[in-house]
Order: sequence, then C-alpha cells, then structure tokens
Amino acid sequence: MRFNSLAFRLFITAAAWTLLVLPLAGVVIFGLHRSDVLSTFDNRLQRIVNEITVDSMGQPEKGAVVPNNTYESLFEVTQSGWYWQIKPLDEADGRMLVSPSLATAALPLPVANGIVPDASGARWMTARGPRGEPLRLVEVIDTLGHEPDQPRYSIVVAGPLDWSERQISEFRTRLTIALALAGIGLLAVTLFQVRFGLLPLRQIELGLANIRAGAATRLEGELPVEIEPLQTELNALIRSNQEIVDRARTHVGNLAHALKTPLTVVTNEVRGEKTGLGAKVAEQAQIMKDSVQHYLERAQIAARTGVIGRVTPVAAVVGPVVRTLERIHEDRYVSIAVECPADARFQGERQDLEEMLGNLLDNACKWARHTVTLSVEVRPATERGRKRRLAITVADDGPGLTEEQRARIGKRGLRLDETKPGSGLGLSIVIELAQSYQGSCALAASPKGGLAVHLDLPAA
Amino acid sequence: MRVLVVEDDKDLNRQLVTALSEAGYAVDTASDGEEGYFLGDTEPYDVIILDLGLPKMDGLSVLEQWRRSDRKTPVIILTARNRWSDVVAGMDAGADGYLGKPFHMEELLARVRAQVRRASGHAKSEIECGPLRLDTKSARVTCNGQQIKLTSHEYRLLAYMMHHNGRVVSRTELVEHLYEQDFDRDSNTIEVFIGRLRKKIPIDVIQTVRGLGYRLSEEAEQG
Repeated sequence: MRFNSLAFRLFITAAAWTLLVLPLAGVVIFGLHRSDVLSTFDNRLQRIVNEITVDSMGQPEKGAVVPNNTYESLFEVTQSGWYWQIKPLDEADGRMLVSPSLATAALPLPVANGIVPDASGARWMTARGPRGEPLRLVEVIDTLGHEPDQPRYSIVVAGPLDWSERQISEFRTRLTIALALAGIGLLAVTLFQVRFGLLPLRQIELGLANIRAGAATRLEGELPVEIEPLQTELNALIRSNQEIVDRARTHVGNLAHALKTPLTVVTNEVRGEKTGLGAKVAEQAQIMKDSVQHYLERAQIAARTGVIGRVTPVAAVVGPVVRTLERIHEDRYVSIAVECPADARFQGERQDLEEMLGNLLDNACKWARHTVTLSVEVRPATERGRKRRLAITVADDGPGLTEEQRARIGKRGLRLDETKPGSGLGLSIVIELAQSYQGSCALAASPKGGLAVHLDLPAA
Repeated sequence: MRVLVVEDDKDLNRQLVTALSEAGYAVDTASDGEEGYFLGDTEPYDVIILDLGLPKMDGLSVLEQWRRSDRKTPVIILTARNRWSDVVAGMDAGADGYLGKPFHMEELLARVRAQVRRASGHAKSEIECGPLRLDTKSARVTCNGQQIKLTSHEYRLLAYMMHHNGRVVSRTELVEHLYEQDFDRDSNTIEVFIGRLRKKIPIDVIQTVRGLGYRLSEEAEQG
C-alpha cells in the first residue's frame, strides 16, 4: 500500500477510528464493571450486617448474642478475610463478640474514625485486616431490641477487598484480550473492505496497462456504476484519438499525393531549361519539392507519436522491408544478413519502424560492397521502473564516412554524395522519428569499414 | 521495346509518353485502372509503368490481379505516398521497382532500362553481340567501335533483338513488341527494316530462320 493512495487513506482513517474507539470503550466498560462488582460486594456486606444485626440485637433481655446463622462459611476460617464484630459502644469494658475467623484480633470502628453514615445509616471504610489484607468494612450502629433506650452496639462486617479486586483485574485482562482481538479483526475487515471496494480501480489500472502495452484497444470489463462513466468516456477518448490520428494521416497522405504529381509534371516540363522563366520555375519547383517532402514527412510523425498502446513485432517488419530492398537493389548483388530475436517488440507504430528500417537499410544497400547487416537486440531495463530497450544496428561494408562527415550528416536535406539517388532526407527523418520515441540514432564506423547506424528505441 | 503507361494525370501521362518515345520505346497509355488492367492483361509489354492512385481501380489491385493471372511483365510503380510502408505494400503486391513522386524523367528512364535488361537476363547496361555493341543508356549502337546511324524504328528493332540475342525472335513477336497497339499488324514493315539494317551492319549478323523468324549470330565476322 503506497503512502499516497486511496487505499491508504481509507485504511488509515478506519484504523485510526478503531484504535481510538476500542480503548475508550474498554475504559468505559471496565469502569462500569468495576463499580458493578464493588456495589455487588457492598450489597452483600450490607445484607450480612443487617441480618447479623437482626439476629444478635433481637433479644434485649439476653443482651447481644452470637448470631445463629453464619451466612458465610468463611467466618469460621481463621484469618479468612471474612469477619464480623459486635462491640458495645457505651460500656467501655463491655463484652465484644467476634467471628471465629477474627480470633483475638479486632476490627477498627468506622464510627471511631469519624466516618459519616450513608442514607441507610451504614458507615463504609477500607482498612487492613489481621494479616494486613485490604478489607471492606461496613458498620451499623444499633441498640438492643432496636429500642431507643437500650445500649448501643457497633456491628461491623468485613469482607476481603482483594477477592473483588482479583475478579476485577481478571475481567480487565479478559476485556483487554477481547478488545484487542476485536481490533485486529476490525483492521483485517477494513483492509479487506478497502481492497474489495477498490478492486474496480485496480481493474482500470490493469486495463490501462494493457492498452499501453498494446494488448487491448479499449477499457474492458464491467465496472461499478460510479466509475462506469469514466470507462465510457475513456473508451470514447481513445477511439476519437485514434480516429483523429487516422484522419490526419489520410489527409496528409492525400495532400502528399495531390501535391507531388503536379510537382513531377512541373519539374519535368522545365527539364533542361537553362534560361529565364524555365530556370526560375525549375528552381522554385525544387524548393517546393523539398518543403513538401520535409513537412509532410514530419506531419505524419507528429500525427502518430501521441498514440498510446501501439506495439509492433520487429520481425514482422524486418521481413517485408528486407525482402523489398533485396528486390530493389537486385542489380547490386548486396545481401542483407538479419539477426532478430522473434520476441523483439517495438513500442510504437508499425509505419514508423518501417520508415526507420527502410531508410537505414536502403542507405546501407546503396553504399555496401557485398553485405549489409541488421541486428536487433532487446536490452533489459537499466534502472528500476524503466522499460526495456531495443538496440538496432544497421551496418554496411561500403566506404563509410569520416568523423567530420558523420557529424554533418543528418542535417536536413544534406546529401554527401549527389550521385546516389535519393532525396537525402532519409537519415534526418530517421533521427527525428527516433527522437520522437525518446530514442536516439547515432552514427559510428562499422568494424567492416562502412557506416554503422545505432538506433535506440523503446521495446514492449 | 513496348511500354505501357498507366497514369491518370494527363500532363504527367503526356510527359511520360514523350520521354519514353524519345528514348525509343513504343508506348501505349491508359488513364484509369480498368483500362490499364485490360491492356496489361492482353498485350505483351516489356515494361509497365503503373501509378498507384488511379480512378476506377487502384494501382495495387491492378497489379495484384495481373500477378494472380500470371502476367510476369516487369512493373514499375509510381507513388506519391512514398513511405516505406507503401513501398513494401507495392513490392509485396508484385512490383519490380518503385519510383516516388516527384521524380526526374532520367530516373524513370534508368529504371525502365534496368527492368528491360533484367527481364532479358543482362546484367550490364551495355549489351554485346558479335561485333555489335548496344549502349542502352545513350541508345547508341556501335559496330567494331564505329557508331551506326539508325532511325528510331531501326533502333527499336535492333535493340529488341540484341536484348533477346541467342534465341529466335518471330516476326509476330517483333510486331507486338515494337509497335503501339493501333499499329497495322499486317504490313510487311518488319521485313523492310530487317533489310535496311542488314545494309548498315555486317550482313550475316541477322540470320533468317526459315518459318520461325530471325536470330542474331554471335559468330559473325569481326569486320
């Protein structure tokens, strides 16, 4: 998942929300549960203290008695944490009744610690027990037989706080685990949701890659209603782009045809005229001829370089071009040796590759003594993210060019030797075509003595 | 040598006819694809010059149909769409050469000469036969180094025979290849021109093969 992506945005917001809400919920649930556990504990203590009070204070004639019901079996176990204590308040040396668990120890009196009673008259406090354990204490102050004129007693019941604390902390662990699992689950679902929800966009991405690679001419597949208009518009755009290119190409071709025939007539009509009008017409016709050739060729390049998604198998172009040139140059007895891997593919228009190879091979055939070699090589991408390249070399065993000549050639219309037929635009059009494909065309000396032209073009 | 020009532009058509006639060819013309196809299909031309952009039937189709019905006449295509893709398409359809417009007439004549030579199996632009030497570039014939003055018709006859030396050339073949379509084929002009030629070159160079036609003899005496 890249940093700047829809998937990342959706995921990060959902994740942030989850990470914020879950701990908050945890804190709230924990708090509620804690107070619930504590109040349940308090209720139990209160019930016990109330019943002990009723039991032990019910008979004024006998004084305070040991309650006959134990309510909690742990009152019988020494230092169990569960204690009760009945202590007379008004007689300083009055007999104190305690649960067996308390043995010889005594519980502190909340009333003596200045604790204020709650609405039901009970006083609550926490204290340390005989073992030093934390205790929850509740104290009720009552009189024998509940008569106002009888002596007062403090009835205290204590329960172990660590028991409920243990329960609470156990709950906290479980809650944390449950919430953590829920969090992980939610994140996983979010991730799936984002991936699943954005699947159509991925489909578009693949579709565009296919178009660019030339494997498809339109965006295929059934897309969700939200992005279906995008698909429709994109396909219409691709189609109209193709139509515009085709139309422009047809018009340029027609214009070339319409201009070149009259130019042939004019040129030949004034052939051999050395004076006056004839010479002027011949001179101007030549200028027109050069311009027509120059600009129309370039108009056709411009008409094609913007096209996306054209892929041309190199071997399919090399075959016919070589066959054609061998026939054209039949009288020169030049052989063309071809070395081209079957899987080499050019990322671009067939016509442009034909034009480049045709011009280079034609030049080479005109100058070669015996052989012309054409080698095509697919080079792996040098850097990550860059495409593979095609390295095409056309070399001949002819006279070749000097370094200075090689530097000069390629300029528009320059012909080093006027005796060889040709318009002289061949090499410059190759250079411009290669450049329009972000490639290059370089001249070098061939090991066999002639000229070697290296073309660097994008491979598909 | 007989040439067919199929070109719809009237001016270019006229220029081609003039230039080819001046160079010693018998020229027929057609100004649309259908007429061109018919002529090329029925007449024995030595070379056909075919424009690709033609009315009624385009040049490539005309060429493909000729080739499909096994007409092997050399064809030079003229095209204004001279990108390599068009050239390849033309050559694949069966053309023997192409010329991109605009072109110079000299260039065209050179191509025509080359095609005629190639079709009759001569590699060089000069053809020798015994004491005779034909320079196809300058349309001149020399005998033992001496230039022979020939009329246009005499040149056509001798050039045709020299291109096809070593085999017997019938009278009908000569008529078919030396004259335009509307020529009166029943006349005896071939005999008349043979007779005139025999006065200008060693008499035994042109041999009559009774009942078949004529043949050039390589063994004619040098001088």
